[in-house]
Amino acid sequence: MDIAAMRASFSKAAEAGDEAPLYFYSHLFLSHPETRGMFPVSMAHQRDRLFTALGEVMARVDDLDALVPILQQLGRDHRKFGTLAAHYPAVGASLLATLEHFDDTWNAELAADWTAAYQLIAKVMVEAADAASDQPPWWDAKVLTHELRGIDTAVLQVQPQVVLPFKAGQSVSVETERRPRLWRYYSIANAPRPDNILELHVQAQDGGPVSSALVRHVSAGDVLRLGSPVGQLTLDPDSRRDLLLVAGGTGLAPLKALVDQVARQGPPRRVDLFVGARTEDRLYDLRDLRRLEQELPWLTVTPAVSDDPRSSLERGDVSEVCLRHGPWTNRDVFVAGSRQTVRDTVARLTALGTPAESIRTEVFAPSRPGPTLEGEVTS
Amino acid sequence: MTTTEHGGDRDRRLSPADVQNVMFSRGAFRRGYDDHEVDSFLDRVEYELTRLIAEKAELRDHVQALEQQIATDGSTPAQPPTAQAVRILSAAQQTADQYVADAESYSRRLASEAREQYEQIVEQAREQADALLQHTRQQAANGAVGPVGAIAGDARTTEELQAQVVYLQAFAQACRTQLRSYLEALLTDVEAEWGRADPNALPPSRANGRPTRLSGAHPADDVVDLRR
Repeated sequence: MDIAAMRASFSKAAEAGDEAPLYFYSHLFLSHPETRGMFPVSMAHQRDRLFTALGEVMARVDDLDALVPILQQLGRDHRKFGTLAAHYPAVGASLLATLEHFDDTWNAELAADWTAAYQLIAKVMVEAADAASDQPPWWDAKVLTHELRGIDTAVLQVQPQVVLPFKAGQSVSVETERRPRLWRYYSIANAPRPDNILELHVQAQDGGPVSSALVRHVSAGDVLRLGSPVGQLTLDPDSRRDLLLVAGGTGLAPLKALVDQVARQGPPRRVDLFVGARTEDRLYDLRDLRRLEQELPWLTVTPAVSDDPRSSLERGDVSEVCLRHGPWTNRDVFVAGSRQTVRDTVARLTALGTPAESIRTEVFAPSRPGPTLEGEVTS
Repeated sequence: MTTTEHGGDRDRRLSPADVQNVMFSRGAFRRGYDDHEVDSFLDRVEYELTRLIAEKAELRDHVQALEQQIATDGSTPAQPPTAQAVRILSAAQQTADQYVADAESYSRRLASEAREQYEQIVEQAREQADALLQHTRQQAANGAVGPVGAIAGDARTTEELQAQVVYLQAFAQACRTQLRSYLEALLTDVEAEWGRADPNALPPSRANGRPTRLSGAHPADDVVDLRR
């Protein structure tokens, strides 16, 4: 297999920008019209993602040890889109047609190499999907409660009809039938419970189709589809150290799940939770956090507001406020929030002696369409 | 030709066996078709039906095989889409994408403007409420209003006095705490300096006889203990 030549032909297609994936999907839908229903109405974001993903696969094609787990994860995750083994050859044919279309020097050897490479990729993905067939491709979950907190945040309690196994701190992708074929990731705000109920915190992003629908249109009784859980923001089972949790906005959700896990399973440890927002109104879960603080003697909750002169809460950016209460050199640290919150917090903590390896982070970007190839939820 | 067995059963498919077993009624004076001709024709019908059924089964198998082939190996559609078809669908998709993007950007602008307005209105309302409160208090303090105002003024005075009492109490408490920690820090310093200058000079009973020592444990006690 001439990997250099394959990379060259791929980069020719990639250089064509949007044209190449546009060609690919049109070719696919014309030759296999039944695949169109698996995609959302607007394909704009989908097109970006396809070639980004393919590019990352191509970059690792000579490092199978790194590539195989990524492909396996992709294969498992694609089950929720309704992908069947029968769809893989269809995609392969259209991919080859696209590469050929954008490559003047396309030849039989390249075609053979690409066919072989694609068959390998498809085989790994299909096998991983088959191996995961003991789990449902997605979980139907009924919305039990839907509570608006402030003008653009909602806290939902949903109950999957089949047990959804996950670890505290992980996220699931969510689809609502009001926005078909658009999946977005949301963190579960509790540890696994016997009644299988999950709490989700959703902030409506301006113009965000899924988040707006989840906050403003979904109500109790609706059924959401959940994908399989992902994410690394989980407690280290071998560590008994105290915890420092720093949350901005709905980054609170996975950290609240960690508090819940310590409460349910231990081991006993001190937990300091800092949660920040611009104004006090935006601290959408403060009442429940105060209740937890009353119930759990080992938990300290410190809310912070960065731009609210009337508030009696601590002022400042949450990273700043958390540092004021330091030092935090001996903690397992978890940070979740906007890119800036995560960056500032990590920078400040490491500058004051917290080892970088004891910090785990998750960036809550406005649109979280899916995990990257590394399996990270952050985009 | 009439068939006695199948006349009322049109839905049932005609099988070669039916043709073979069919009975023709004979005319009383041997009028009608020649038996031999009828028989040989029926033979041909039987043969033809058998052949058609076999051919049909063969075709069904072929269709199944093709369907299976498409299902397992999608690379064999009859014709790959033409470049023109791809272009037309691409243009249609781009138009749809543009409409969705426009709708999303419109909704984004609308939502963010609505939020800004909401925040402004809430802020204004709060400011107005504050100003109103301030104004009322001032008027009451000036006694510029009638009996109702006077009552309000009294209420305010009581309220104000209570607030002042609370404030003064808190202030006194804070002073006491500050003073205590200052004195204790001073004592610690003095003891430390004294001990350093002449460790033996520290009388063992000194801690008990410390006149200014305030109640409560203090880290300085540890220092003293260590020196003994």
